[in-house]
Order: sequence, then structure tokens, then C-alpha cells
Amino acid sequence: MEHILIKILGAIATFILAFIVGMTYGGVVRKITARVHNRLGPPFYQNFIDALKLFSKKTAIHHGVMHFLGPAFLMVSSVVSLMFVPVLIPGGDSWYNSWFSNMIYDGDLIFLIYIMVFGSLGMALGAGQTGNPNSSIGITRGLSQMVGYEIPWVLALVSLMLMYKTTSIVDFINVQQETGTWLMFANPFAFIAGLFALMGMFHYSPFDIIGAPAELASGPVSENGGKFLFTMMSSGSVFSFVKLTLFVDIFMGGASNLVVLVIKTFTLYMIPVLYGIVSHRYRTEQAVTFFWKWPLFFGLLAVLYAVL
Amino acid sequence: MVGTPVLFIAIPLLAAFLIPLLGMIWKESVRIVPGLVLMYLMVLAVSLMGHVAHNGPIIEIIAGWAPPIGINLVFNAFTGFLVTLIIFMGLLVWLYSYRFKSNVEYEPARKYFILLMMLVTGSTGVVLTGDIFNLFVFIEITSISAYALTAFYTGRDSAEASFKYVMMGSLASTMLLIAIMLIYSQLGTLNMADVASKIHLMDPTLKAISFILFVVALGVEAEIFPLNGWAPDAYAEAPGPVGAAFAGIVVKAMLYALIRFTYTIFDLSGAFNLLIIIGLLTLVIAEVAAIRQDKLKRMLAYSSIGQMGLVMVAFGIGTREGVFAALFIMLNHAIIKPLLFFSGSYLVYHSKKKYISDIDGMGKLAPFTSLLFALGAFAIVGLPPFAGFWSKLSFLVAAADNDMVLIIALILAVSIVEIVYYMRVVNRIFFFKRTTGLLARRPTFNAYIVMSVLGIIVLMIGFFPDTVTGYIQAAADSLFDKTQYIHSVLTASIQ
Amino acid sequence: MLTLILVIFLGGAILTWLGRKINPLLGDLLFLVSVILPATMFVMNIKVGDTIAQHTLLGIDLVWGLSPLAHLFSLVVVGLGVMLSIYSISYMRGKEKVGMYYFSFILSIMAMLGILVSRDWISFFIFWEIMTWSSYLMVILNGKKVQSIGIKYFVFSALGAYSMLMALVIINSQLGSFMLSDTFNNFQHLSPANQILIPVLLLVAFGVKSAVMPLHIWAPDAYSNSPMGYTAVFSGALSKMGVYGLVLVIISMTTQLPAGSLIRIIVAWLGGFTAAAATLWAITQDDGKKLLAWSSIGQLGYIVTGVAIGTPLAMLAAMFLVVVHALFKGSLFMAVGAIEKQTGTTDFKEVNGLIRKMPVTFISSLLSIIALAGIPPLAGFVSKWMLYEALIQNHNYLLVVLLFFASTAAFLYAYKFLHGYFLGQEEPEWAHVKEAPMSMTIPMLLLALTTFVLGTWPQLLFNSIDSAMQYLGYDATNGKLWTDSVLFSQWGDKVALQPVLYAIIAVFLFFAIFLYFKGRKATRYVTTKDISTSGEIPKEWENLTFKVNFMQPFERAIEPFLKRQIEKYYLGFGKGMEALFDFTRRIYTGNGQTYAIYAIVFLALLLIFRVSLFG
Repeated sequence: MEHILIKILGAIATFILAFIVGMTYGGVVRKITARVHNRLGPPFYQNFIDALKLFSKKTAIHHGVMHFLGPAFLMVSSVVSLMFVPVLIPGGDSWYNSWFSNMIYDGDLIFLIYIMVFGSLGMALGAGQTGNPNSSIGITRGLSQMVGYEIPWVLALVSLMLMYKTTSIVDFINVQQETGTWLMFANPFAFIAGLFALMGMFHYSPFDIIGAPAELASGPVSENGGKFLFTMMSSGSVFSFVKLTLFVDIFMGGASNLVVLVIKTFTLYMIPVLYGIVSHRYRTEQAVTFFWKWPLFFGLLAVLYAVL
Repeated sequence: MVGTPVLFIAIPLLAAFLIPLLGMIWKESVRIVPGLVLMYLMVLAVSLMGHVAHNGPIIEIIAGWAPPIGINLVFNAFTGFLVTLIIFMGLLVWLYSYRFKSNVEYEPARKYFILLMMLVTGSTGVVLTGDIFNLFVFIEITSISAYALTAFYTGRDSAEASFKYVMMGSLASTMLLIAIMLIYSQLGTLNMADVASKIHLMDPTLKAISFILFVVALGVEAEIFPLNGWAPDAYAEAPGPVGAAFAGIVVKAMLYALIRFTYTIFDLSGAFNLLIIIGLLTLVIAEVAAIRQDKLKRMLAYSSIGQMGLVMVAFGIGTREGVFAALFIMLNHAIIKPLLFFSGSYLVYHSKKKYISDIDGMGKLAPFTSLLFALGAFAIVGLPPFAGFWSKLSFLVAAADNDMVLIIALILAVSIVEIVYYMRVVNRIFFFKRTTGLLARRPTFNAYIVMSVLGIIVLMIGFFPDTVTGYIQAAADSLFDKTQYIHSVLTASIQ
Repeated sequence: MLTLILVIFLGGAILTWLGRKINPLLGDLLFLVSVILPATMFVMNIKVGDTIAQHTLLGIDLVWGLSPLAHLFSLVVVGLGVMLSIYSISYMRGKEKVGMYYFSFILSIMAMLGILVSRDWISFFIFWEIMTWSSYLMVILNGKKVQSIGIKYFVFSALGAYSMLMALVIINSQLGSFMLSDTFNNFQHLSPANQILIPVLLLVAFGVKSAVMPLHIWAPDAYSNSPMGYTAVFSGALSKMGVYGLVLVIISMTTQLPAGSLIRIIVAWLGGFTAAAATLWAITQDDGKKLLAWSSIGQLGYIVTGVAIGTPLAMLAAMFLVVVHALFKGSLFMAVGAIEKQTGTTDFKEVNGLIRKMPVTFISSLLSIIALAGIPPLAGFVSKWMLYEALIQNHNYLLVVLLFFASTAAFLYAYKFLHGYFLGQEEPEWAHVKEAPMSMTIPMLLLALTTFVLGTWPQLLFNSIDSAMQYLGYDATNGKLWTDSVLFSQWGDKVALQPVLYAIIAVFLFFAIFLYFKGRKATRYVTTKDISTSGEIPKEWENLTFKVNFMQPFERAIEPFLKRQIEKYYLGFGKGMEALFDFTRRIYTGNGQTYAIYAIVFLALLLIFRVSLFG
């Protein structure tokens, strides 16, 4: 019983960490984007203000059961996947390390890939019930793009699985600890392919086809406000954190303490962000087929490299 | 014993002569007498079959001259099997057509039944006789009655069909005679057993030539490609039951003759290969032609021809299993094809042109007939658990035992074609909307009985094939045992 | 006993058909009795054993028994059969040709059980063919496109069946026995050529039924054209007979061959391509039936790949998916049937927004779709996970990427399905729609809930699969690949399903309650017309339904692929053959003179080639 209680407390701690880091990153990105655009931009804590405002607002309308369940599914996906990603190197020496062990030994990468999709489906269902055509259009775009980046992503992961004969994230971290080489150097092609996929996952320009403000009136979220939008926003922040941490765990040796984690994830995060700032949006089919060109090539190269 | 084999020939022949005379006394007797005759012959055939099973073949000597000089009839397991089959078919055709022409006058009915009797006489004669010239005579009897039956409707088309038949038939007769002459001039005998025992003495070239002439001559009657041009027309233009009689009686008898020549009389090693080649040709061309037909009876006719091709291939395998399969296919064909002809002719009864498209949606109007047609179609393409499956299986087993992998593949490919055209028709019957305003004709009571009997037999053979395989096995053994045949005929003496 | 069961099925089929003619209600009753009674007898009385019944026909021994493998498949057949028989009563009410439907339904259940109990090839083939023609009657039951769809189905089935027939007569001629066990045990005694030929022929035979590319083209049409009550059987159970055969061929035959691994790799890739291509085609469909039909083909592709890879984990995955696919696809087809029954259409473009009208149907569809997409915690995930692990560990890295791609793309059609029927704008046109009757919703919900249970407690099924696999010669998998509800792989990777489920439930409940109760009073329901489209409130008459070209951007992305349809090649081939046939038919000119010439030429040819014929 006590064990479970500790687990739950640890999970809450992880969630809060992910929430804060994700929100802050979001605010910082807004600031950076603004500066690049030669605007002043909001303060970096603007996202917290937004979230607080949404949380405290009354929500006037809903469109039915799925409208409630959609955001809940979204949360399930981000929180549960958070539980399975090692935030810090397991068995590390920082005093708070054991807080973040969560359920990392209970699942592997393939499981994680699938549970991460759960949210998209939930989001899609919630958006679907609102009846707003823009939402549905956004959803179909999002799902299409997912099919696109999944290929290089899986190719990259498969190549690593092949090299180290494991699908467990913890094992990947351990391998990097033992050999002292980050996997991004051990198999650079996998890293490149993975990076492309990461760009797709983050939906920044040129892959911001889901929200596409000018076209779709922010797409799937357009019918949501108040508690719904708050949940979605929190989930999005947590999810960003999950993706970044996962990437750091696999390719960049994991993090032994929170400072390292923040440095690594932030650096990584800047790649899609900065690339996004200077790119224009793709058409949906371009966004999909983009991943079937160079990213696919690098993915195949990664597998080839792993085999040889 | 209720009688001797000669009655199979004598009684129907006598009946054929008596029918007009009896008809003068009582008109209905024209319809009844053939039935009585056929029923008696059926009883006779079955009892003789039983006798043969226990006591060996019956050799009957006609006119007191012992073979090889005199003419003899051979009733063994093989010929007995075919005779039973022929009589049975005759009986069904009679029953089916008993009221078939009740609305037409006495005159056509009389002709019809006389010709039917002649047909039975000739066919049983072909099967039973042990003399080559006698065989020729019976073939002529059969053919002539078949010509007349083809032209029964006395229309332009039937006359044309009949004329084609006559033309090809006379060509065949000529060749048959030349072949017989060749044999007689070489061996000085025409008794089958005697010829068979002396055939090695014959000049090889003349032997081959006479065999070829036999093949071509009998091939015309047995509907072998490319000699079967007359057949589709004849089937299509003759009345429904006559089509059934052709498929069930005439072709069987003619094929018997061909097989007798190949297996017993001649000792040519290449003959079996020839059978396979022409059998395959016949099968493939006929099935391929069938799929492109738009008239029901024509389609069934081509399908018949195809089946005969298959039988020939089975005989061509040349093993006991092959013969077994061939006879099994013949039996199934003799049951299923009449079922299809009978039910099919009711389905297109009111249609002028007898197009396949005229049976759209018949399943609603004539459920029983349609069901039986579907049963026949399922059975003949060899879907289990119906009759056709077992014969197809035994054929394939026999072929596989002889490593004929390519032939199996070809035949199965052709079977797919067969499935396509039968299923197209069945689909039309049950799953199409009725487009023409034509009504269905209610089958007569007799027709119901006949079709039900056939349907039940199809199911029976399907579920319990062993009820018939014993006879077929005995028949196959008897055909295969050439020395036994020669010996039993040549040592037969006048009782 | 077994014979009696089959006879009850057969007699029941005929009685039902006749009973239906007398009184519809009597027909319904007889139908239920003649499915459920023998099915129950089968489950209760037929235990795994080698020879349970034996008959001799035509000198061939027909031996019936139940192997553990067949037992596994028979669970699917019996389960689906009973569920769908209950469902069918309501589904078929008021439709045409109900009698024929019942007849074919019962017969195909009988045939499938017959296939499974057959221990010799002849009874196997007989039941196989009965299954073919009874399902054929179903395919053409609605009378639409009978000559194209029906014939296509039958031709492919016949192609498969005759390949099998050819294989089995060759087996008999070489080994002198039709027994399955003799075939597998004495496989080495076949000649080398036949050792290749026979597996290939049998693979064609079973590949047709399990809809492996390029033998799949009959399937989408046949599935979607048959009545929905039967389509579930079609896709859930009937196609699994093909899988059953594939298992026998691949595990028991090709493992004895030097070239077997090559054959297996080819089949595995075909399965992978089937999965990917069928998924893409499913995405482009605008009709729920067709979508599910393609999706079935795709799922069968996974199963085939798993079987072909044949490692213990892959086999476990494939067998698990066999059962699970039957469950969720059965439930989905039933849902579509319910929608068809209640609204009269299955087209996404016509019907929408049913979530509030048909909630039970929606929930079972949702569960099934989640299972279909392979998302934890439902059962689809278990098989996907095991399959991917197996493929990676067996070094089929490109294949695993292909399958990953397929299953990711499957989300698209999964969403299209749910959105198409249940979500989106609620049009007044469909305001009258009611939930389907209990006899339809309960079977579908039961099946969906079963996938839920199996998703966390797969050991309920693993035990059966384990004994089936041991029968096929595998080692016991319990403790190696799974213990209770924890999945393992040889590399030591694992997924603990129970913690996953609890975590998901906990998080889900927390946020669902939060979303529902926070400011509950203030939140009120509004219709889907009350939305903001770029700041404007749409008018009542404005149609905001988004259904046409739903996946257009994606379709554009995969356009080069969509242009290449295998079906076109087949159609071209078919047309060519028909033209050839027509040309051949013209040999029969109808002219007597020509026929006479044929006769003379034939005679002349024979005389000329006399020497080569007769020496």
C-alpha cells in the first residue's frame, strides 16, 4: 500500500515537473518567435497566466459526452506516457532521483509509441463531436501527418533496437552510460531521421497544418474553452516534455539531474522551433510526403548502418 | 433368370413395330406400352446384373452358330452396367415425356415413342453385341432414330440441325464400313473376341489406319472434337427430353464402342495417348464454347460434350482407376445432365428463343424446378457434397497416380470456366429481377417425379457414393480384363 | 457425437429453410435452435482428441478429430456463430430471402467446424467447398452485382479449392494416404519437386481465403456485398480458415524444407504488403462496409505475416490476433449492420452524428476501434506488441517498418469510421433514429468487452494458444513469453499490462471527473449548430457537414499508389480470356460443310501422324 502511495506521489511530482517545464518552454518559444519576428512578445510566463485564466473561467457550453472524454483521453495519453519515460537516469545519484522512477520498467518503446497515439485519437473524437468542420479538417491533417513522420521515426528506433538488441528505454540509457557514447553519435543517421520525425511531432512550421490559424481557425481546439482548453493546454505541455525527454533518453544519453535535463531538452527543442520560425507552412500532402523523401532515406541508411 | 440379354434388343424392337398397330386399337397404349417395355427391361437388367455378379458373364449366342462364326451378345459387368444405365435413362425420358406431348395429337406422340424405342434398341444393341458388323447395324439404327428425333419439331431450324447430323452421320458410316472391310480382309473374322485374339497378325499400317477410321467414325457419334459440330445444333433444336436421351443414352453407347475398340480389340499402345489428346481437346474447346453461349440448351449441349471429353481423358489414363473414374463420370453425367435438361427446358418453356436471359428471376416463379436446376449445376461442376464431386475426385486421383500433373492443372482450370457459366445461370435464376413477362410453366406430375428421382439420386451418390461404386468397380474390372473377355466368348457354346 | 452434431447442423439448415416458408417466426426459432444447440453440444462434448469419428466413403477414410489448434479456431467459429445468430434474427427481420440467409448461415458454420475437425484432406476439402458455396450464396444474397462480385468470388475460391485438390491428389499418389498427419510426417518422402509444388499450391489455396495479396481482390466486394450479419462471420471466422490452413502448411511443411525459409519470407512480405495496401485502400473508402472489408484484409495481412515468420512470439501474436480480430471486427460489422438497419444507409457521406442516438453502438464501436488500432489497454495492442517484437528479434526490420506504417495509417480509417457515423454535425434528417434493439446491441457490446478483458488479461486466451502451439511442435510459452498478464520477449523487454490498465483508468477517471464536475452547473449542452466558424454563428439551414473527400490530403499524398490497382490486371486478363473464348467458340460455325471439312481434315491429320502416334 505504502509502495503504491509513493508511486502516486512520484507520479504527481513528475507531472508537476513536466507541466512546469512544458509551460515554460512554451512561453519561451513564444518570446523567441516574437524576437525573431522583430516583435516584443509576451513574457515567458505568459502560458501560466493563460492556463490560470482558462482554469478559472466558466465553461458555458459542451457538445456531448465525447466532448468531455476527448480531453480526458488526451490527458491519459500524455500522463501515462510520462509514467513510462525515464525522466532521469535510473539509479542516478541525485537525491530526488527515485521520485521519477514511476513505471519505467513496466513498458518499452513499442508500448510508448502506441500509448502516445492514444491522445491523438481522443483529441480527434472530442473535436469530432463538436461538429465544427474546421476541427475535423485539422484532425485529418494531423493524423495524415502522423502517418508521414511515423516511418522515419520507426526506422530510426528499429535501427537502434537492432544495434543494442533491446526495445527498452532504460536499456538504451544504460548502454550509453556503459559505452560513454551518445547514440546520436553511435548511429548518426538514426538521429537525423529521428530529428525529422521530431519536427513533425511538434507541429511547428512548416508542419503546423493542424492548427493552421489562418485556414482552420486553430483547428481541433476551436470549439473548446475554459476547462476543456485548459486540459488540452496542460496535456500539450506535458506531452512536449515527454517527447523531448524521450529523445534525450534515447539519443543524448539521458540526464543525471534536472539541470542537465533542462539544458539538453531545451537545446533539442530549439531545433524544430528555430527551423519553424523561418519556414512557411506546407500543404498537407507536402507535409506527409516530405517524410517519405530525405527522412526516409536517412532512416533506411540508419538501418543499413545498424545491420553492417 | 427372368430372361436373356437378347430380350434387350428384341423387345423394344418388337414394341416399336407394335406401337402403331396397338395405337389403332387404343390410342393411349402408344404412351403406355413403351413404359411397360422399359420397366420390364429395367427389372431384367437389374436381375441379370445380379446374376453376372455371382456367375460371371453371360454370353448369348444368336441363331445357333457358335462364335467366332455366329453372332453373340455379351452381358458382363461392364456392358450390363451400361445397359442398365441406358434402360434407366430411357425409363426416365419416357416418364418425363409421358404427358409432355399430351396436348399435341396422337400422330406426333406415336412417332416420338416409336423413335424412342428404336433408340433404346440400337443403343443396347451397340453395347451388348459381340460382333463388329452387328455393331455397325445397331449404330445405324441408333443414328437414324436420333436424326428423326432431332427433326421432331419439323421446323426450319430442326430440319437444318437434323440435316447436319445426317451428313456427319453418313460420313461416319462410310468410314466405319471401310474400317470393318479392312479388318475383315485382313483377319477374315468380325467377331470382337476373335479379332482381338488375332489382331497381332494384322499388318501394322492397316491396323493403325483401321483404328483411325474407327476413331473418326465413332468420334462423330460420340461428339469428339472436331467431329461434333452437329451436336450443339441437335441438342438445341430437339425437344428437351431428347437432349437428355442423347446425353444419357446415345453418347454413352457410342463411347462404349470406341472404348471397346481401344481397350479390347486393338492392341495399339499409342491409342491411350490419342484418347487423352482428343479428350482434352474436346473438353477444352467445348467448355470454352459453352461460356460464350446465350441459349440455355446450347450451353448444356457444350457442357455435355465437355464431359464426354473428360470421360475420354479418364479412359485414356489406361489404368483400372482411370476406367473406374471414367465410368463414374459417365454415370454421374447420365444422371445430372438429364436433370439439367429436364428442369432447364421447363425454365425456358415459354421463351421463344430459349435465351439464358429469359430465366432471370425464375427462382420466385418456379422454386422447385429452379432448385433442382441449381442442384444439378452444383453437382455437375463437382461441388461437394453432391454426386459430381466423387467422380471428379476419383478421376484426379487416377490421373495423379500416373503423374499427369499438367493434365490435372489443365482440367482444373477448365473446371473453373465450367463453374463460371453454370454459376452465371444459377445467379440469374435466383438473384435477378424478372425482366420478361413470361410466366413459368408448371411441370407435369410425371416430370416432378422424374426430376425428384434424379435429384435424390444426385444427393444419394453425393452422401453415400459407395452405393454405386461396387457396380462401377466390377464394370471397370470387367473392361480391363481383356483375356477373360476373349476367353469367355470364344469358349462359349450353345446351351 | 461429432457426426450427430454435423447432421443436426445440416438438418437444421434444411428445416429452417422449410420452416421459414411456413411461418417466419417458426423459421427464426428453428434457426436459433439449429445454431445454438449443436454449437453447445460441440463445446460441451467434443474434447481434443485424434479420432472422434470415422467414416469410409469411396474407399477413402474420412477421419474426424479435434486438434488443439483446431480447438482454438473452433472457439472463434462457435463464439461468433452464436453471437451472430442472435444478432441476425433482428437484423434480417423484414428483409428478403431470409430463409436462404439462415440456410447458408447454418451451413457455413457447419462447414467451418467440419474443416476444423477434419483429420484427412478429403473431408477437409469437402467442408471447404461447402463453406465456399454457402458463403457464395451469402455474397450474392442481396442481388446486387451478382455476376461481377459473385463470380469473382467464386472464381477465386475455385482457384484456391482446385489448387488444394491438385495438391491433395498428388500427396495421395506419392504417399498413398489422405491423412493430414501422414502428409506432415512423411513430407520428406515426397519428390523434391513436389516438396516445393505442394506447399505452393496449398499456399495459393489458403492464401485466397485469407485474402493475401495478390489473391485478395474478391474480398472487399464479397465482404461488403454480403449481409452484415454474415460479414462478421466472413471476416471473423471464415477467413480464419485460410489462416488455419496457412498455419498447417507453413509450420508443418515448409519447416521441413531447405527452401522453406525463402517461402516463409515471401509469404511474410506478401502479408506485410497486404496489410499496408489494404489499409491505404480502407482510408479511401466512403462506405463503412467497404472500409471494414479492406481493414479485415489488412488485419489478415498481419496475421499472415505473423504465421509466416513463425517464431514462438510471432505465432503467439498471430494466433492471438486471430481471436481478437474476430471479436473486434465482429463487433464493428455488427455496428455497421445496426446502423444500416436503423438508418437504411452505410455511407459516411449520408449519415452522421449518431453518437447521441445510438450510444451503445457507439461505445462498442469505440472499444473495437481502439482494439483495431492496437492502442493499449485493449487486446489489439497485445498482438501488435508481440508481433513487432517478434519481427524485430527475427531481423525483419524493414517488414516491421512496413507494418508500423500500416498500423499508423490504420488510425486514419479508424477515425474516419467513428467520425463518419457517430461524430460531426447532427442533421435533422437523422433525428428520428433510435438505438438498435437489444438483440443486436448486446452481442456487439459483449464482443467489444471481451477485447477489453483480453487486453489486460490475455492469459485467458494464451493457455489455449499455448496448447495449440505445443501441438504444432513449439515449446511451452508460459513463463518464457508471458506470465499472467505480463508479456516478455527473448530480449527481456516486457510490458506489464495490469499496471498499465490501472494507470490509464486512474488518470482517465481523475480527468473525466474533473472535466465533468468543474463548474458543472454552468456548462450546458448545445447542438452542433451552435458552433463558432471563424467567429460566425451558422444559420439553421447551413450545412456544415464535412464528409466528402474526408481524407483528401492524404489521398493526394498516396496518389501514385492508388493508381496501381491489381484488380485492373485481373480484369484485363479476364477480358482477354473471354475474347479468346469467343474466338474459339467460332470454330463452331453452324455450317454443315465446315463440319464435314473438319472431319476430313481430322482424319487426314490422324493418318499423317499415324506413325508418331502408333509407332
